[in-house]
Amino acid sequence: MNRDLALGTSGAVIAGGYYWLAATIPDSALADAVGPQGLPIVYAVVLLLLSLILVARSLRTANLEPRTQALGSRIPAPGFHLPRVLGMLAIGVVYIAVVPWLGYVVSLAGLLFAVTWYLGGVISRTIAIVAVSGAIVFWLLFVRLLGIAHPTGVWGQLF
Amino acid sequence: MSTDVLLLIVPAAFGGVIWGIFGGALPGISPSITMALLLPLTYGMDPTAAIVMLAATYVGAEYGGSIPAILIRTPGTNAAAATVVDGYAMKEQGRAGEALGISLYSGFVGGLFGLGVVVLLAEPLSTVALAFTPPAYFALGVLGLSVIASLARESLVKGLMAGVLGLMIATIGTDPVTGVNRFTFGSPELLSGIPPILVMVGLFAVGELLAQSGEIGWRQAVPERARIRFPGPALWRRIALPQAIGSVIGAFEGMMPGGGGAVSSFLAYNEARRWSRRQDEFGRGSPEGIAAPEAANNTVACTALVPILSLGIPSSNSAAVLLGGFLLHGLIPGPMLFVSHSDVVTGLFAGLLAANIAMVIVGYLMMGPCIWLVSRPRPYLMAFIYALVVSGVYAIETSLFHVGVALVFGVVGYALRYFEVPLLPMVLGVVLGFMVESNYRRALVLSGGDHMTFLQDPVSAAFLTVALLFLLGSTARHALGTRRRRGAELPV
Repeated sequence: MNRDLALGTSGAVIAGGYYWLAATIPDSALADAVGPQGLPIVYAVVLLLLSLILVARSLRTANLEPRTQALGSRIPAPGFHLPRVLGMLAIGVVYIAVVPWLGYVVSLAGLLFAVTWYLGGVISRTIAIVAVSGAIVFWLLFVRLLGIAHPTGVWGQLF
Repeated sequence: MSTDVLLLIVPAAFGGVIWGIFGGALPGISPSITMALLLPLTYGMDPTAAIVMLAATYVGAEYGGSIPAILIRTPGTNAAAATVVDGYAMKEQGRAGEALGISLYSGFVGGLFGLGVVVLLAEPLSTVALAFTPPAYFALGVLGLSVIASLARESLVKGLMAGVLGLMIATIGTDPVTGVNRFTFGSPELLSGIPPILVMVGLFAVGELLAQSGEIGWRQAVPERARIRFPGPALWRRIALPQAIGSVIGAFEGMMPGGGGAVSSFLAYNEARRWSRRQDEFGRGSPEGIAAPEAANNTVACTALVPILSLGIPSSNSAAVLLGGFLLHGLIPGPMLFVSHSDVVTGLFAGLLAANIAMVIVGYLMMGPCIWLVSRPRPYLMAFIYALVVSGVYAIETSLFHVGVALVFGVVGYALRYFEVPLLPMVLGVVLGFMVESNYRRALVLSGGDHMTFLQDPVSAAFLTVALLFLLGSTARHALGTRRRRGAELPV
């Protein structure tokens, strides 16, 4: 499946789901002629049409490909590094999950360490020192200088 | 302007320029990403200082992009790509300091020219909008959305899809007319909708972080030390014409939808070569080849404000983030901004002047730290950017839910990059969605459901006509481009 076909199919699925959700929006006694469902339904239909156009175009291009060869080269899109992307996302999700308990500084040091290790592929004392120092600098900037209360976690109850 | 205001603006301008130069100097971090990273940090600031800081970041980033372009042959920003050609050639000849000096000085000249254009054009244009009615505001929103057509360079369908997805995101929350909850799934955090800032930080910053995560290693560039050398009188005279060419092209491109720094830089480079007496020097270390694109991209950083301030429509990614800054502080760009928040507008103009001066001072002093930063291993840089995103987004409303939303939009941004879908149409949809829907329905309520109201209102009719012409023109251009591409295909 080429990228345009995948995008068109995904768009059609999103349009269908969004249409279903829009159709179930409850009516209101204050409703105007268009109503709260009006434009969302229009958007869903437009997205569905655009998705179908993309699907049709990608299928036609796929049929032409064996017979023709493009002279000009297109700039390639970023590669599909799903494991890397999922790993980066997992680090963010874990940060969100642990920051209420471990507090801002410890969680952020963990995030800095995890991302540097994950992208660099090595573990060293330098990475740990940079991560802890970085977390302290961020704490000084956000909590002490800008006065934004980040979660203190269990440390807030201990001290 | 009072001393108190100046005491706010000048540090904000310097701070923004420092941030911008650092961000611009990092290859892969565009001005819009640099601004998006800063956006949450401005939340608690005075609105004028916040807007000045964001605009100054744009100014600084456009110069910052030329540093790695000249020193390590890697443009820090797309707009600096044209500077690589002659900048790196000059560096190879041992003239890196001279090249950096030309870049800084030309950026300063372009920035001042751009500021003049903004001051002259923004307010007169905005006065037109004083007569706006709900139909006119709806039509203005449609005109803004029609910009999508010119932004979708490769595929009009993909650009339109991204725009519609943005409009869909804008419908999340409480309905503007009836107060009914839409697409909130019982979550109280979604009742007020998804703030555009989360969409921008997610799409631009987190999305780029995810896209770059697959291409990281410990390799690092080793640039040589360089000391900026400003051009002498003879060189001033030589680069005056390319600077003028760059400034004029940048002024137009900055105001045009989809123009931006990259397009203007290459156009300026090309025109400067065409008008030069020393065409053969281009590509071999010509000072003119640096002056024209650098003047152009810094002019764009200022003139991109014209459509935002006068009509509230962003013309590029960076302009969209700047618009996000206005919205974050409860400022609605457009005609009323000049009436109700004239102090912010005046402060912004003064701040831009300060930013351009700051760029020369900071650019000169920060060369060492920039070279150090450019040569850091990428994993460290990515980790600190990630930390900045989660800390900054949390700071907006001290909400971890918002951090999660930004991560979700990061995935969306990555997916859009993967499918080669432009990001700005989605941002436009999110930013303009509420304006389009609320004014469309308000206009229909006032007219008793008569759609002719959109054609009977002269301003609305004019905007809709321009939007239609814009769409038709872009469609024709796309069709022509497709036919040409097909013409370039050979049977095997």
